[in-house]
Amino acid sequence: MVRAVPGWVRIGAWIFVLLAALFLLAPLIVVMGVSVSEAQFIAFPPKGFSLRWYEKALNSPAYVDAFWLSLRLAALVTVSACILGGAAAIGLSRARRSGGVVETFFLSPLVLPSIIFAIGLLMVWSAIFGPTSFHALWLAHTVVALPYVIRTTLAVLAERDPHLEEAARTMGATRLQRLWFVTLPQCRPGLLAGAFFAFNISFDEAVLSLFLRNPNLVTLPVQIYGQLEFSPDPTVAAVSTLMILITVALMLILERMLGLTRFASG
Amino acid sequence: MTDRRETWLLLSPGLVLLVVAFLLPIARMLVLSVQGPDGTTLVHFNRFFQDAYYPLVLWRTVYLSAIITLICMVIGFPLAYIMARSTPRIRLWLVIMVILPLMTSVVVRTFGWMVLLGRSGLIASSLRDLGLAGRSFQLMQTETAITLGMVQVLLPFMVLSLLGVLVRLDPRLEEAARTMGCSFLQTLRTVVLPLAAPGLLAGSILVFTLSASSFVTPSLLGGARIEMLAGSIYKNVTQTLDWNFAAAQAVILFAGIAALLIPYLKLGARPHG
Repeated sequence: MVRAVPGWVRIGAWIFVLLAALFLLAPLIVVMGVSVSEAQFIAFPPKGFSLRWYEKALNSPAYVDAFWLSLRLAALVTVSACILGGAAAIGLSRARRSGGVVETFFLSPLVLPSIIFAIGLLMVWSAIFGPTSFHALWLAHTVVALPYVIRTTLAVLAERDPHLEEAARTMGATRLQRLWFVTLPQCRPGLLAGAFFAFNISFDEAVLSLFLRNPNLVTLPVQIYGQLEFSPDPTVAAVSTLMILITVALMLILERMLGLTRFASG
Repeated sequence: MTDRRETWLLLSPGLVLLVVAFLLPIARMLVLSVQGPDGTTLVHFNRFFQDAYYPLVLWRTVYLSAIITLICMVIGFPLAYIMARSTPRIRLWLVIMVILPLMTSVVVRTFGWMVLLGRSGLIASSLRDLGLAGRSFQLMQTETAITLGMVQVLLPFMVLSLLGVLVRLDPRLEEAARTMGCSFLQTLRTVVLPLAAPGLLAGSILVFTLSASSFVTPSLLGGARIEMLAGSIYKNVTQTLDWNFAAAQAVILFAGIAALLIPYLKLGARPHG
């Protein structure tokens, strides 16, 4: 802090931060509270303590199927987004001079709300292939996850030592060897962070999944959304809490491996 | 193989994906919006603007998004400033506090608000207990509910945009202003705020855009009565299956967002040449 910040500002800042934390975390705390309540209906603060809603959720085929679908989808999206995004980021870092426009294009799914291309994608897919399928979701999620991988990888590549590749070249390494043994290891932290974001985005994504859903293609967020529209019960809270815990676990791993602040403010 | 060829080879798989699964759908949507039974037509747009209901939906989308953006600015600026000026250890905790909700599914967070804002929820019942609200008081299905929920969903975007700018700000600039006799608040207003303007602008555009185009939170908290544009698009796509009309609404949304984004992108591109 700058020296001689008035005392009332310091105290005010602390109160403000606490209130902001409460506001930002309140929905998550509430969901977690409801999930362990004994009551038949949704109640916060929770009454008693029981894990029966978790048992009910884990025995519900609708939730379990949706969970496996979301998991499979997120895993495949992570792989495809990392391969395409990693390659694109390496390409962009080399084409710095003419890369500006291409980079903007690559990052445009980040600024353009997904609802706009969700409706277009549904229309194109129906016109060509008929009913939506797993592949449609895979394609859609890869598009939205791609910019995150590109951004994290580009950030890492910007800090690398460019002479390393030059050295490999003078020592006679082929293009493929340079890419595999020099550039790719340099990308690793960025790719890893990108992979976490890609997985998380796909696993939590609701807009594209809602537009492309059909009775056989219900991801976990869509299943929860359906329950919320229809009749929320504490089972939804149990499933939601499990989703929050997965996010927390992903964040902890990311922080341990790479440091969160590094990618948060970039 | 030349270096140039190799670069393009690396870029092309991603480019192909974006052209096929991103550009083509947007183009298709644009075409559908002007497609009628007998060729090109503006009938879907006419229907939108001449209806009594839809202009109201559009207006609600714009003013609620503006209010949400404004609140995000007012809360986001001090929060980001405190984060930028705190020790690395505290900053890590604050970043976690901002990113954890951001990375949690919107559906889950909206559920939390549904519980909090419901008739028997914590907020309504404490207001009743304090005698500040009547028996039938309820927050769900009001614009207040949408605003509260959306601010919580979008605040992290504002904070992170601002934080990116504020952490790079040299604290000595503020010290200089202080030595020259500025009070703390004067320093904030005359030094920090103008220098943070790019982050504030970027964050505001992001928050406004996301707010105008989201439907999960507004439709769950606002209900069917208080509709916003994105919710209306979703309804037309999945329930009434009126795809041309849905496309026309998406084009209106798209045009509004483009009108905001393009000047901004041009502005941002200038310093880099």
